Amino acid sequence: MKHNDKIAIQLTNVSKKYEIHHEKPTLVEKFVKGRNETFWALRGINLTIYRGDRIGITGPNGSGKTTLLKIMAGITNPTTGSVTRCGKVVSLIDLEAGFHEDLTGVQNIYLNGMLLGMTKHEIEKELRSIIEFTDIGQFIDVPLFTYSFGMKLRLGFAVAIHSNPDILMLDEGLSVGDAKFRRKSQAVLKRLISSGRTFILATHAVDFIHEHCDRIITLNRGAAKETSL
Amino acid sequence: MSTNARHFFELLWGMTEKELRARYKHTAFGFLWLIANPLLQMLIIGFIFPLFVKEPVRHYNYFLFTGLLAWNFFSMSLAKVTPSIVYERNLIKKAVFPRAVIPVSIVLSNLINYITAFSLFLIPLTFLGTLTVLSFWYFTGGLAILIVFTTGTSLLSSALNVRYRDVNFFVQAILIIWFYATPVVYALNQIPSRLLWLWRLNPLTSAIQLMQAALVESELPGPAMLASNIGITIAVAAIGLIVFSQESRNFDDWL
Repeated sequence: MKHNDKIAIQLTNVSKKYEIHHEKPTLVEKFVKGRNETFWALRGINLTIYRGDRIGITGPNGSGKTTLLKIMAGITNPTTGSVTRCGKVVSLIDLEAGFHEDLTGVQNIYLNGMLLGMTKHEIEKELRSIIEFTDIGQFIDVPLFTYSFGMKLRLGFAVAIHSNPDILMLDEGLSVGDAKFRRKSQAVLKRLISSGRTFILATHAVDFIHEHCDRIITLNRGAAKETSL
Repeated sequence: MSTNARHFFELLWGMTEKELRARYKHTAFGFLWLIANPLLQMLIIGFIFPLFVKEPVRHYNYFLFTGLLAWNFFSMSLAKVTPSIVYERNLIKKAVFPRAVIPVSIVLSNLINYITAFSLFLIPLTFLGTLTVLSFWYFTGGLAILIVFTTGTSLLSSALNVRYRDVNFFVQAILIIWFYATPVVYALNQIPSRLLWLWRLNPLTSAIQLMQAALVESELPGPAMLASNIGITIAVAAIGLIVFSQESRNFDDWL
């Protein structure tokens, strides 16, 4: 473990409460019934992640792994406690999400890149490399509704890894496209992981964590326990 | 800070382009629908409505078209923005970006459509001979109220719709009533003055009256009307901004 003492993400006493809505509540019900049932997905999490840390988060289903990732990424906010974040977070989840079917591959690269926090200038610089990486040939200028699912995933993966994140997040394993592309993406991931970037992975695959991570957070019913490797 | 602002506007523009590109893709007449829609509305209302009114409005078809363009901007924006956050749940769950770009880009794309249709409308309007130097200022004033009010209500309704999906149905219903509560097909001087307070609650009254005054020399909104309409516009915009920024922190929990 080599800390260079720069904090990437710090969680202080973070708890997250969800209201359980068996169905979406209506305005009327809200006023009639008042309070909803609640559920604490995370309780009192204290965690400091330094730059370059490689964190594996594990735990049974429903233990709060995804919630923790979302709070660390800033997709949702904790009910109590505070989060400080330093640098750009990109998560490799739902890679194909957020593409627009009527736009071409290139137009989608721009839109998706900007959503992931890239500036137009950065995308222009990386455009050729992104297109090369997707390896979908002349389809890059065709509207996305003609793409196969695998092609969309490749496009999403290519944009995400070129967005140059300081903190990379991965929920569950990642398998993108056919065998050839999978090898290519695994190789890139390994390179990204070993390039000193902060890496956070939530998975059940303990072997993968032991191979790639140097800190393990085990979640159980919203509470965290840490083991160092 | 300035790179943040720049990124916000780049993203906003990217989303707006997406809206514009997607809307008229695969249509034979493309953006001609922008003008064809209000034109059809105008022909029908312009034929039916004068049959029931005692006091005819001068240049009625132009008067009507002015109001229809502005009304369509408002109603199309609100109808499309309200469920927009729910429709874009994939984006919300995937990435961290200023959530406001989703509703604001829809309003902006509608504004661009509106201005395009309006520029075409200016051509016959110049031959009518009602445009004066003051037209520009009245119109800009009306447009400012219209944009601020539309953005405010859009932020409010799209944010609330995440938690309470009834909001979308409520908006659809209220828009039908709202059309008749706005002086688009009639002029406000046909309303008895004891009922006028109702229109003071509707900021679209001043917005559209200013535009009609600018383009076809109809009556300007009175000072009380203008003051209360502008007051409500600012209040709605402020509430919209506050509610959206509060709610947007936890959109993900409800999607």
